[in-house]
Amino acid sequence: MNHLAKRVIRQTLNDKRSVMMILIAPLLLLTLIYLLLGDTDYVPVIVIEEATPQNLVTALNKQDIELIQEKQTITSPKTYLTDNEHVDAVFLYSDNGFDMTLREPSTKSSTAAKEIQAALSSINPASKMETSYVHGSTDQSTFDSLGYVFLSLFSFFMVFVISAMAFVKERSEGTLERLLMTPIKRSEVILGYTMGYSVFAIAQAILIVLYTVYILQMSSNGNIFLVLLVLLLLATTAVLFGATISVFASSALQVVQLIPFTIIPQVFFSGLISLDLIPYHLGNLSYIMPIFYGASAIKEIMVYGNGFDAIWGYLSGLLLYILVLYTINVRALKKFRNA
Amino acid sequence: MKIRVAGTTKSFGQTEVIRHIDFTVMSGEICCLLGPSGSGKTTLIRLMIGAIAPSTGTIHIGDTLMPNMTLLNEIGFMPQNNALYEDLTAEDNLLFFGSVYKLEKSVLKQRIEEVLKIVDLTAHRQKRVHVFSGGMKKRLSLAIAILHQPKVLFLDEPTVGIDPVLRREIWHQFHRIKQAGTTIVVSTHVMDEVIECDRAALIYEGTLIEYDTVDNLLAKTQTGRVEELFILASDQLKEGTTHEPLS
Repeated sequence: MNHLAKRVIRQTLNDKRSVMMILIAPLLLLTLIYLLLGDTDYVPVIVIEEATPQNLVTALNKQDIELIQEKQTITSPKTYLTDNEHVDAVFLYSDNGFDMTLREPSTKSSTAAKEIQAALSSINPASKMETSYVHGSTDQSTFDSLGYVFLSLFSFFMVFVISAMAFVKERSEGTLERLLMTPIKRSEVILGYTMGYSVFAIAQAILIVLYTVYILQMSSNGNIFLVLLVLLLLATTAVLFGATISVFASSALQVVQLIPFTIIPQVFFSGLISLDLIPYHLGNLSYIMPIFYGASAIKEIMVYGNGFDAIWGYLSGLLLYILVLYTINVRALKKFRNA
Repeated sequence: MKIRVAGTTKSFGQTEVIRHIDFTVMSGEICCLLGPSGSGKTTLIRLMIGAIAPSTGTIHIGDTLMPNMTLLNEIGFMPQNNALYEDLTAEDNLLFFGSVYKLEKSVLKQRIEEVLKIVDLTAHRQKRVHVFSGGMKKRLSLAIAILHQPKVLFLDEPTVGIDPVLRREIWHQFHRIKQAGTTIVVSTHVMDEVIECDRAALIYEGTLIEYDTVDNLLAKTQTGRVEELFILASDQLKEGTTHEPLS
């Protein structure tokens, strides 16, 4: 059994692409996600009319925006925005109240809207609203609040692909058949494989957790060792999941073809979209997706700062998955040898 | 070790792949399973190894009823495709398979030296298999099959896609392995190779149409070519006298 694990390790180390994919690719992708979802210093461009009251202009000027005072009256803000592509918002004052027109529901627009609201509340302290969160803070970036999902997503995906491809290769090249013509037990084969890849999974988990928490500075409120434990279980699930999928694929290409069925649905249910918002109770589908368990557990630890008692349910979910997939895999080897 | 196949039938679903085969491979002989591709040779080998259980009938290796896990220690198997770990060196491949057979470290080391010498790959032991030529891969595959000194060796189309020079060399090695007391079962669809064997089992559409010493078989033909026996068998099948052995 540990001979098999040793062989898997040696084989993977000999294949530079696999090593890169397990260890380097997640770091690269996490860095990209960090840059894409991280703090933005975007300054929205807001247009007002000359006739705007002076105290409002002063208040707006104090905000982090680029303010343009248009000399003419703006009859149609929508046409104005269409004609002036660099403008994010038109903010008009009349006796009936304020009129804010934004380009489209986007992050840029909501930044502009936020700045305008801040300006308004600074003139009228009565309408001032203080926002605070139970978990996290207002100045948190999207990366801080959603980064944990990518942690589990990338970890699962990379290990899945490597394992599925390795198993497909074993099947198509006949090494699995040859191996089962020796007195090795079927369970030893699956266990050995899982153990071999677990070594890489541990290395990967340590690397990406340290990288996100200490270099990308993702806020983490909980115990990092619990995160490592979750990632390890998730990666083990990914190894066995890959092995199971390899039964349905006869080439590496077919593994890739199956990704829309195996990985992409899991991305949707991983927590990127709040499950309560999904209609027709489809959110319940998440209970059959391994990534959901991993992502939810990591969320409990990193975002909510909870401990083991909050995640044991998710961990049991993963353990159950591992057990079921292990059994399926050991049975699938009967194709090569009955006993 | 003797291999006794008695009344063995194997069906996959509705299709009967092996039809009531009876024959005994004598200990220390090279027995050839001869037949066109798709005739059931590989299935018969898998049955004899015990990878799959027969639907009816029995198979014994020595006195052991197959399938039997422990007996796999006495069996060597060289599959049709090379079945090597291409990312590993020749030596790592041998080390791995040797450890699966739970050979003791010192024994394994010594055996690796021996088999590398037999298949003439000692100079290439540290090279990764993916740089090997087709012939080198075949030889390494054979080295793995004989690494644990099996008493019975199954070779599934070992010379397919091999040039004549290398083929002769490989057969030369089979004879050396036989001289060491190993029973060899080799499948092939190359009729010429039959003269290298002691006995031949002619398999046609899952049925054993002939089993005899090679000398006797050749004597039965007019031209001295084995093909004739297959043509006779296929004619008989067309006439409706199915599954009955010839002569």
